[in-house]
Amino acid sequence: MVDIELRVNGQAERASVPAGMTLLEFLRDRLALTGAKEGCGIGECGACTVLLDGRPVTACLVLAVEADGLDVRTIEGEATDGELSALQRAFVDAGAVQCGFCTPGMIMSARALLLRSPHPTDEEIVEAIAGNLCRCTGYEAILAAIRAASEEGGEL
Amino acid sequence: MTRALVYVGKSVPRDDSVEKVTGSARYTHDLAFPGMLHAALVTSPHASARIVRVDVADAAALPGVRAVLAGANLDVRLGLYMRDKRILARDVVRYQGEPVVAVAADTLDIARDACRRVRVEYEPTAAVFDPRDAMKSGAPLVHPDLGSYAHLEGVFFPRPNTNIAHHQKIRKGDFDAAIDSAEVLLEARFDNPPVQHVPMETHASIAQALPDGRVEIWTSSQSPYTVRHLMSVAFGLPHAAIRVHVPYVGGGFGGKAGLNLEPLVYVLSKAAGGRPVKFVATREQEFNTLPSRQGLHSTIKIGATRAGKIVALKATYVWDAGAYADYGVNVGRAAAYSGAGPYAVPNCWIDSFVVYTNKVYGTAYRGFGHLEVLWGIERAIDQTARKLGLDPAEFRRRNLLTLGDATITGETFTAGHGKPVECLDAVAKAIDWGTPSSSPASSTKRRGKGIAMLHKAPAMPTSTSCSAIIKLDEDGAADILVSGVDYGQGTYTVLRQIAAEELRVPIDAVHINSDCDTAFTPYDWQTVASRFSYMGGHAVIEAAADCLRQIRAVAAQIFGVAPEKIVCENASAYPDGEPKRAIPYRLLALGYVYPNGNAIGGPVIGHGRFIAHGLTHLDPDTGQGRPAQFWTYGAHGVELEVDAETGEIEILRIATAVDAGKVLNAGLARGQVIGGVVQGIGSALWEGFRFDKEGRLKNPSFVDYKIPTAKDLPREMVPILLENPQPDGPYGARGVAEHPMISVPSAIGNALYDALGIEFTSLPLSPEHVLARLAEKGVKP
Amino acid sequence: MLGRFEYARPKTVDEACRLLAEAGRDAAILAGGTDLLVDLRNGSRSPLLLVDVKRLEELQALRTGPDEAVIGAAVPLNVVVEHRELRKAYAGLSDAALSIATYQLRNRATVAGNLCNASPAADMAPILLVLDAKLTVQNPQGTRAVPVAKLFTGVKRTCLAPGDVVVDVRMPPLDGELRTAFRKQQRIRGHDLAVVNAAAAYAPSRATLRVAVGSCAPTPVLLEPFDTKGTSPLALAAEVLRAAAAATAPIDDVRASAAYRRAVLPALLRRLLADVVSARRAV
Repeated sequence: MVDIELRVNGQAERASVPAGMTLLEFLRDRLALTGAKEGCGIGECGACTVLLDGRPVTACLVLAVEADGLDVRTIEGEATDGELSALQRAFVDAGAVQCGFCTPGMIMSARALLLRSPHPTDEEIVEAIAGNLCRCTGYEAILAAIRAASEEGGEL
Repeated sequence: MTRALVYVGKSVPRDDSVEKVTGSARYTHDLAFPGMLHAALVTSPHASARIVRVDVADAAALPGVRAVLAGANLDVRLGLYMRDKRILARDVVRYQGEPVVAVAADTLDIARDACRRVRVEYEPTAAVFDPRDAMKSGAPLVHPDLGSYAHLEGVFFPRPNTNIAHHQKIRKGDFDAAIDSAEVLLEARFDNPPVQHVPMETHASIAQALPDGRVEIWTSSQSPYTVRHLMSVAFGLPHAAIRVHVPYVGGGFGGKAGLNLEPLVYVLSKAAGGRPVKFVATREQEFNTLPSRQGLHSTIKIGATRAGKIVALKATYVWDAGAYADYGVNVGRAAAYSGAGPYAVPNCWIDSFVVYTNKVYGTAYRGFGHLEVLWGIERAIDQTARKLGLDPAEFRRRNLLTLGDATITGETFTAGHGKPVECLDAVAKAIDWGTPSSSPASSTKRRGKGIAMLHKAPAMPTSTSCSAIIKLDEDGAADILVSGVDYGQGTYTVLRQIAAEELRVPIDAVHINSDCDTAFTPYDWQTVASRFSYMGGHAVIEAAADCLRQIRAVAAQIFGVAPEKIVCENASAYPDGEPKRAIPYRLLALGYVYPNGNAIGGPVIGHGRFIAHGLTHLDPDTGQGRPAQFWTYGAHGVELEVDAETGEIEILRIATAVDAGKVLNAGLARGQVIGGVVQGIGSALWEGFRFDKEGRLKNPSFVDYKIPTAKDLPREMVPILLENPQPDGPYGARGVAEHPMISVPSAIGNALYDALGIEFTSLPLSPEHVLARLAEKGVKP
Repeated sequence: MLGRFEYARPKTVDEACRLLAEAGRDAAILAGGTDLLVDLRNGSRSPLLLVDVKRLEELQALRTGPDEAVIGAAVPLNVVVEHRELRKAYAGLSDAALSIATYQLRNRATVAGNLCNASPAADMAPILLVLDAKLTVQNPQGTRAVPVAKLFTGVKRTCLAPGDVVVDVRMPPLDGELRTAFRKQQRIRGHDLAVVNAAAAYAPSRATLRVAVGSCAPTPVLLEPFDTKGTSPLALAAEVLRAAAAATAPIDDVRASAAYRRAVLPALLRRLLADVVSARRAV
């Protein structure tokens, strides 16, 4: 077992974890943050995307021990005091949500994009979410949502 | 004076988006219960083998293991249309990936560890992989006991001592005579590989066997009542003893219809002393163990006159059902009665065979055989047009079903069917059909245009039904209870719109269950077949009317007028002409209390239902009958560019027209079209299972099974929704959910001919496939 | 869980080398983890100890200059891609890094990791071969330079031994006239492994063209140099294609057939040569 300390959605967390536990397992099973999903377990589908020190990663391919001392943001940290972020509202308004299983990972990839590039080009938006597979929407509404959120600007 | 619609037809946003964008929506993947165990599987490495010995001693001895089961422990047969399946392989394995042993343990790691300690001895036996080989006499029999299997008699016709699980016939007119008289003949063969649904949430189920013989199930499913019913049949339990919950579902596409993992987790729970047991398929298991879409090999023959009229059509469809054919037999049936396309074909001969092979088994998949069949039909139609020297769109116009024509099962085409010709014209216009594409930027690229038609009716039992309950809350808001599942398509929002419209309440005052629970939400057949908005819509309309009847009855008493004189509007009731006296629903929802304390009426609870009507079984010899509650027609138009040096295809534009009858929610309908088109492009260009010589699946993961990403979209997608009303549809609506996918590959294949002058007959149209055909033809870029 | 193993995060490269040498084949280096964790999950590797090198200061270098360019072994691909000076100097290298996997995976995967995984289709291999790059490798016995050309010994096999830690990848002194390019044939425009890939480096001042091809042999293949004196790389296309065909032996695998690889490689190489000719010079 390895002792780790990290911040998750702004809160300090301390835990003792097996070295073999993934960050995804840690978030879902230890912290009950079930927003990040397992879609494939090999980093190909993006359903488990979270931010690690502000950068999007697939949590299934990160060990919990690797997140020691780092800052993790999940979908559960996207809204503030129950109020949706502009990005979340844009997803709702654009019809970018169907079954919703890819949605948390998709929003985290988009959140990371807007953090590093508040006014992204269409190519940048596509590149940012190309690692997030969606089977329901055909992506069009998702791209529109991210574009709308970036145009709204202001407090992300 | 008809009232203008307030909600129906508007793009009302779905109300589950907030849960989904905050990550608080819970799917079966996310559920956990006290004492819950985790399950893992040992699956077969062989496509066909006898199970000689199963040694689970080491596995069972591992601390934390609570149950270990093999097929020998379970004498249960599963299946709705054909009871040919076991929970775990018993005596023999029939496909590589088939579950053989299941373990339930305190943690998933222990369960997987235990599985690694299971030893199974197999004796490989002769296997058959191509359904055409499986049909030949002397082929190894995948189900030697086929003759003893219970099946839906009068509807499905298995042939004992063969690999044929079902044979559907269409015999209309006199094909042999007609084909002799045809002036132009076209014969061609087409192939579709098996593909997978790829829901983002893999199959997952949890079951708890309760001490009093009841069982509670939570499952990622499209059909809670089918789960309940089939569990009842399989285990001899009364329906009331089985309770099925369906939380949010992360995509289904047909793969989660029917019965899947539920029996497995139930028997594990029983064996583990009643502790809840959860099984979540890995993505590899999703591809390799859970069901797929059947492959298809088609032979199509079309005879036409020089004037461009089809006189005869013959098709032989050989479905690759895989190792089990439960759902597959219905695909084979439905594809047959749709199997000549949306055309007036006076003489038609179709044989649709559903054939067992030693591969992962097929089930329902969006389109239910129609994509696969129309790949052949729509390509053959184009080829026939070319033989006639006719524009493919014009040839279609001359043959599309029109008023008074009979379908190949003898149904009459009426105005209520919608207008296939309008769909054709719409996509032709959208891609500037008749004008050649502009030149590509590079000399190694070629462009082309193609068109294809689509049609589909819900493939469902003749007695398919649906029900809804609406109950009013204390504040006058309405709660809808249904057991259809909204797994992304948005039907719950449509039903809310309909209820708000009918009840005359604000949409925000209408709620619907996000979870289904067979203890409380009333019967629905399955959420497949593009019939939930149609049938659920009717049920909700009836339930709302029932609520209003109860409201009017009480209001009539209050106001001392006849109930017919009561107007319901703005969530209140008043005598006609006296809106100022309106009593809000919230004062009627639980009955009404007079000032002196007397109470009348009671809680307002309305119920509604819809049952398919007028449908008949198909004649076993001729296929004649009425299988379709309604037909939806449509078309695709594609313009593409192909790189003749690499074989890569880019879709420049794709227009998709569907005659929806009435667009109940434009935003949701658009979502279905775009999503369906992109899924169709996956089938067209990249998707397909690949097996090695021993029948083992070589691409059971996203590394080598590619689905479209955000980088793989057409430059332009144009959804076109037409509204020629379905007279018996709710507000004139028809189902549209599957249709946007159905002829995408056909239109692309037709466009590819236009670009390269090469007839492609098998899918996918991958770069490798395209380049190989170019090389064959000696085409120099 | 991905397995039962110990995890160490040494504070120096020396300590990392020592831990790895002691554990021998029972240890694995954990950098980005995007290959290793997949192997742990499917059981194809089961080390008893993971040695996390990501936070070692010596592995974080990222600089270009007239004398050399250095990419630290722990630098994630996205950081490499976003480095402006590196892109100017070695456009083909940036393109190769950008072609790998997804944005999320590029926040973890590294250049060194891609090389050491030694897939025949490794996307960083062709460009580093044509650039004559060298790995700085440290072990308890000392530090040495291993040319990338000597790294690959077979499918997923390298010349590195237990105890070796790649510290960085270094390019030779920069030729201001250098032009580089990279091309990758995929099955789909979304993330994919290479069906075939290739890189070219053209130094007009030295009249030399170098080409390397991947995914067509057990290891990535560096072709013999081509003399471009008095001519352009484009004019040498036939010679390049011949040399590539002679030096490679594509196979059938689940990704593509040998026939497709053989059929598409000429087009890929012709387009690569056109890219490298029209590429901007490094300085």
